[in-house]
Amino acid sequence: MAQTENPSREQILERIRTGLRTVVADSPYTGSHGEIFAPINNPLERFQQECIVNLMECVLTADSAASARQFSKVLELVPQGEVFVQDDPALRRLVELAAPERPIRWSSEGAPSEASQATITLAEALIAQTGSILVTAACGGRGASVVAPCHIVYATVAQLVPDLATALRSVARQGTLDHNSFACVISGSSRTADIEKILVQGAHGPRRLVVILQTTN
Amino acid sequence: MTASAAQRFLQDAAVKSADLVHREIIRLGMDSYDAAHLKGRARIKDWEAARQKCQEIKREAINHLDRYLLQFEEKVIARGGHVFWASNGDEACEYVKNLATRRGVRTVVKSKSMVTEEIHLGPVLEKVGIKVWETDFGEYIVQLRDEPPYHIVTPAMHLNRGQIAELFREKLDPGIVSDDPADLMAAARRKLRQAFFTAEMGISGANFLVADPGVVAISTNEGNGRLCTSIPRIHVVVTGIEKVIPRLEDLAVLWPVLATSGTGQGITTYSTLIGGPRRAGEVDGPEEFHVVLVDNGRSQLLADAEQREVLHCIRCGACLNICPVFRHVGGHTYGTTYPGPIGSVLTPHLGGIKEFKHLSYASSLCGACTSVCPVKIDLHHHLLQNRRNATEAGATKSSERMMFRAWRSAMLQPWVYALGGWSMRKVLRVIYGMGLAGTFLDPMRVWNRHRTPVPLPSESFRARWRKSLGTN
Repeated sequence: MAQTENPSREQILERIRTGLRTVVADSPYTGSHGEIFAPINNPLERFQQECIVNLMECVLTADSAASARQFSKVLELVPQGEVFVQDDPALRRLVELAAPERPIRWSSEGAPSEASQATITLAEALIAQTGSILVTAACGGRGASVVAPCHIVYATVAQLVPDLATALRSVARQGTLDHNSFACVISGSSRTADIEKILVQGAHGPRRLVVILQTTN
Repeated sequence: MTASAAQRFLQDAAVKSADLVHREIIRLGMDSYDAAHLKGRARIKDWEAARQKCQEIKREAINHLDRYLLQFEEKVIARGGHVFWASNGDEACEYVKNLATRRGVRTVVKSKSMVTEEIHLGPVLEKVGIKVWETDFGEYIVQLRDEPPYHIVTPAMHLNRGQIAELFREKLDPGIVSDDPADLMAAARRKLRQAFFTAEMGISGANFLVADPGVVAISTNEGNGRLCTSIPRIHVVVTGIEKVIPRLEDLAVLWPVLATSGTGQGITTYSTLIGGPRRAGEVDGPEEFHVVLVDNGRSQLLADAEQREVLHCIRCGACLNICPVFRHVGGHTYGTTYPGPIGSVLTPHLGGIKEFKHLSYASSLCGACTSVCPVKIDLHHHLLQNRRNATEAGATKSSERMMFRAWRSAMLQPWVYALGGWSMRKVLRVIYGMGLAGTFLDPMRVWNRHRTPVPLPSESFRARWRKSLGTN
């Protein structure tokens, strides 16, 4: 693709450099701060608490058989119709057990459609501090976590990190954003409070976000 | 120009502050925000340390703005994205318009972006026949009303559910009966879903440009930003050059602080990072990714030793929410893209001190804005500096300059001051005695028009002072 023509680029950079020559009296850089966030002693407990705050569901399971049963339970409440699933061997095994009758659209067949009733994906990590899941383009694509009314995430406790700083450091260290054009920290279901500050769940994205969290690998 | 913008402000402020329905809507909205904000702050162990950290991150970014912007640009281009540098709004709009025209774009979905409001991108695209859908629920509501956003975070906070239901009945579906916010949102969702799946281009803003990995960070609660940046085949980010931050890890404090200051949440529901177009092997995502970096007067602020820090603003809206003037006159009265204290500081730099100097006086200088700013911008002192700058630039009216000369003269000659006070008491006594307080004959009419006159003292302060010295 042709390189973008940028007639004003150098002028803007020159204006910036000229402006920065002005000496600004600043309070000295301290570089050290008090402890901004309280330490997280029990990440699992904190994650569960934050899920409640974020109005998302977190279901603990002991093993993959229990996870399959939970998937089945969640899917019972999802209206009939296609379910989009990230094409991953672990999810293939689970979905075959949990919803053998459901029409499935695998991510290898394309993006979720408007008709998808639910999406099932993995996550890169879970963040205890904010009750969040971290997904990337590798987790079924960009639309997988936002197009359908229900998003179900399958994760294990080993993926839990204590806080945002740890999660972001890991993303930077592993070059996650060099391998994925997209990443998102999702902290609850889609929502709005644009009318009289009254909270409404399910604005443009999922009304339900369910995390099936398995305590063993 | 100066008089008309200032006069419009005064006229609109008088109307809005006397509108009891408007005041009640804003009071309820702000009460709800106040409670959520306090609760959110309590979740952060040391709020002041968080503010300090955010201030330092933004200061480092702005003080090395050229370096970080180039670092960001390099990474985006390496992933197949495009970066366009726009000196002003016209250049930015031209770029997006030409891109849309070349690619045969008929429909655009937009997520909330104050910079696109600042440069009036929507009308430019509509002029060439492109349908533009605002997809943030609040933005969609104000778009249907053909008015600008009222607030930078909650664009439709000046409307209640009844007014929105009526609007939807008129513009979307006469069959809408309920005014329940969930039902109204569902009606908008149904309409906007069609737009998401037919649009060829999605336009978003950016909360941050992260230099080190070269990604844009976008925070939304509704998921509309996610859909705008996932489904259409072209994604264009339009943002200000000051949004850059150095490192990904900086978001570990900026994201929670932005959410807490904006809505009281611990973190925004969707905190998204996008670094380019869809990569080979990815399931979906746009084929093209463009970032338009808008200067539009921002680089001039770098040379302002006192006010460079205004570029640290993360557009959380906290200063608007706490401002007693904003709470009474409302967002539209300012007549600017950015209302409230940050808008009153910034707009004279972007739009001209002559036309917008009056905004510096839309403040009680109480300092509440400064006290809540999550990046510690000294907002109320910047308002004072703008007043001074306007005077030094000769942007004040000759009558105002004359009044101050007379005042100065009186302050330097006590007998003139005393004579003035004595005369005023006599004149006001006659006017009040005749029941003419607040009429055009009353020199105090601006105050007395809406208030009971303050009782006149029988003697001057100096006379009372002398008496008091005599008795002690």
